[in-house]
Amino acid sequence: MVNRRDAIKKNKLVSSMKGEGTLLVLLVVLILFPFVMSFITGTGMNEGVTKFWQGQLIIFFIMAVFAMSYDLLMGFGGILSFGHAASFGGGAYTFALLMKHVVPPITHNYRITIGSVNITDAIVLIVVFLVVLLVSILIGLLFAATSIRLKGAYFAMLTLALGSAMHMLVKATDFHKWTGADEGLHGVPVPVWLNPTQNRLTVYFVSLAFLIICYLLMKRMVNSPTGRVIIANRENEDRMRMIGYNPVTYRTIAFVSASIFAGFAGALYSIWNTSATPTMVSAVMTVNALIITILGGMGTLVGAILGAAIMQVISQFFYTWFGARWPLVFGVLFILIVMFLPYGIIGTWRMKKHDLKQFFEQGKRIIAQKKTLNQEEEA
Amino acid sequence: MKPKRKKLITTLLVAVAVIAVIAGLYLYAGKEPFIRTTLSGLTLGSLFFMVAAGLSLIFGLMDVLNFAHGALFMLGAYMGWQLYTNPTFIFGMLPTVTAFTCGVLVSPVIKPFLIRWELPEQWQKTLPKIAYVLAIVLLILAFLNFNIMELASTAMVAATTTMVGNPLAEITPQEPLAQFWYRPVLLIISGLLVAFASSKPGVKTEFAPKEDLLKKAVPSILLFALTIIATLFRESAPIAILLMNGNLRFLIAIFVAVAFGFMFGALIEITLIRPLYVRPFFIVLMTLGLSFVIRELVQLLWDPLAYQMVRPPLFAQSGKAASLLEWLQNGNATINISGVTFPTYRLFVILLGFLMFVIVTIIMTKSRLGMIIRAGVQDPQMVEALGINVKRVFTFVFAFGVALATLGGIGAGPFLPIQPLMGDQFQMLGFITVVIGGMGSYVGAFVGAIILGMGRAFGDYFALKLSLSPAVSEASTVIIMVIVLLIKPQGLFGKKE
Repeated sequence: MVNRRDAIKKNKLVSSMKGEGTLLVLLVVLILFPFVMSFITGTGMNEGVTKFWQGQLIIFFIMAVFAMSYDLLMGFGGILSFGHAASFGGGAYTFALLMKHVVPPITHNYRITIGSVNITDAIVLIVVFLVVLLVSILIGLLFAATSIRLKGAYFAMLTLALGSAMHMLVKATDFHKWTGADEGLHGVPVPVWLNPTQNRLTVYFVSLAFLIICYLLMKRMVNSPTGRVIIANRENEDRMRMIGYNPVTYRTIAFVSASIFAGFAGALYSIWNTSATPTMVSAVMTVNALIITILGGMGTLVGAILGAAIMQVISQFFYTWFGARWPLVFGVLFILIVMFLPYGIIGTWRMKKHDLKQFFEQGKRIIAQKKTLNQEEEA
Repeated sequence: MKPKRKKLITTLLVAVAVIAVIAGLYLYAGKEPFIRTTLSGLTLGSLFFMVAAGLSLIFGLMDVLNFAHGALFMLGAYMGWQLYTNPTFIFGMLPTVTAFTCGVLVSPVIKPFLIRWELPEQWQKTLPKIAYVLAIVLLILAFLNFNIMELASTAMVAATTTMVGNPLAEITPQEPLAQFWYRPVLLIISGLLVAFASSKPGVKTEFAPKEDLLKKAVPSILLFALTIIATLFRESAPIAILLMNGNLRFLIAIFVAVAFGFMFGALIEITLIRPLYVRPFFIVLMTLGLSFVIRELVQLLWDPLAYQMVRPPLFAQSGKAASLLEWLQNGNATINISGVTFPTYRLFVILLGFLMFVIVTIIMTKSRLGMIIRAGVQDPQMVEALGINVKRVFTFVFAFGVALATLGGIGAGPFLPIQPLMGDQFQMLGFITVVIGGMGSYVGAFVGAIILGMGRAFGDYFALKLSLSPAVSEASTVIIMVIVLLIKPQGLFGKKE
């Protein structure tokens, strides 16, 4: 008995490793990528093609996190929010505003040292990120508060309106001095070691690490009891309430956590751009995340990552392939996916995987039968 | 308290509050600014209503959040504007479209015979596939070397030259009939193949009675006749249209936009949305993708530029009319309304909005179809149980909603720049209007649209007067919505959940 149980445990371990195997390989590839690229092309780490592709991948990492956070809401929580860009843009603007208007006077006047090491920058950065966290939580709570009374389409509309209210606030000319209104905030002073033009490799690894950490955290969260309840909330709210869970609490948890991830992604995005622009808060950003999630597959975190990668590739190559009207091709593709692959690439793969396996096993069985038949005949 | 009395009291209270607000604004702003602001608020309100009415109906009956509504609004403006300044495009495309549809619409006529056809099972599956492939091949052949872009591009010439001189100068030559004739023929065959494939030959589980075949054949016969006419008059019709009086041309443009919207809406519902009713969540995504495609298609055809549609002569003459009668006689651009100079075209937009409201009200309250729609908003399952073909009603409502949007588009055409993004802002405001008014209620959409339009106009007015930020008027919409939702989460006229 013990042996068997051990075998099952081992099997479980192996199968869970199998699931992550491709991801691990991908991770190794991504870690090695800048070095290999610079080796092959012969360009330095911080110049030419290598630098360009690092940049593309950085955008991919950040968008993947943003899409995953959206997936947490839509795919797992079943909450269709059209204002998720508010969290993303909120994080970006909080970071940019603090770095541009609040931090410089402080670092100018005060200095924190341990012995002879100057750690002012690090402490300030940590504090800024804490404020980003706080703002994201507040935005998440705001959206969650609207979902208490409203459901379905009304809720979707209200999130759309709240998102556009954020957009208006950012674009309002009254705060031109602070937010730069239509143009947005440009030239955000970022510490030298995090500067994407001077030290792109650092930014690359920071955002890669960010993606991995967020993926693991979200995966843990989805598989935790809380995550299960959030998924149950998607499936049947009444039944969940009957069992004794308060849907509002769990929706709030989903909102706040998604908002935190999105906020950090936004902050990182504003580091990468050294700017924060109104587009980051606009509905376009939400729709992007929505499309990415649908492309990869709703309710699968890996799907969001894959979708982000595909989007990055599409936006890179479609322009050269189809000219300025590439969104037309993309739109048709999107409609086809919605019609024929409603569960996205990963979702469809997961559904068909079983069939394929069965198909192969059947084939194997038939071959084995034929073999035995042949052997019998020979005998 | 009795519910009736409660209702009466709330109505009275609301009426008193509204009158008080209006009186307060009047006293505060003074007569002339008040009238001017109110009129511009009404203009905006009618535009919002045109978008919101369709949205509200579609949502109320079918639970479809139509994110393509703004794009369809824009498409309506483009279609009307095309007919007004560049009929070559519409008349050049018309025979191809009618030919294909005429072929497809044969389906209900041939279906009863096809499903009774004895076919081996393997052919039942492969035959439609072969037919589809052939249809696509024919479709491609029919459009090979057909220069759609050139038909559309004449519009850019038309936009830059003035229409005062000779309007015929902009007509570009089309393909001669001797070259063109095979396209509609191929398209009819292609459509017939699609009809053949979609009626599932040999499948015994399908149901189609052999009754009323003549009645079912009527649309396709009509379209066939239309195809022949459209093919023959393809080159002369644009000239005839351009030689017409501008007002008449505008009227035709409105009609074309509405007819186009109705047919396009029906097409979208049948082909793209109907298969997704089992997964309602994906309808939102579908309409989102659709808006993408429509917008890009328009940019492909007419370039991402903003065009100015020339106002019809009734609204174009310089000078100020003293009264309505004088305006109708001379066609002045502005009119004097108790001391306020107001553009006549905007007055027309207000009239159009109110006219639409009246028409929608009549359809919804007096016709049998309207009754079915209202019943469907209340309880779709019950309507279905009573033996009404809900599918067809859904198609009609979607088409009707889209037609309202395209009507709004062409109505807005002469005073908004015609550009690919012109509908997006209205879509957003249309959504908010629907939320304020209550989903599925056209009265709610009307009241909500007027409230929002007034909020916008007076927001702008106060921003200017008290030197506030111009964001005030934009924010007013959101503020109004939040207030309404806090008081009545189901909207002002919405049904209770």
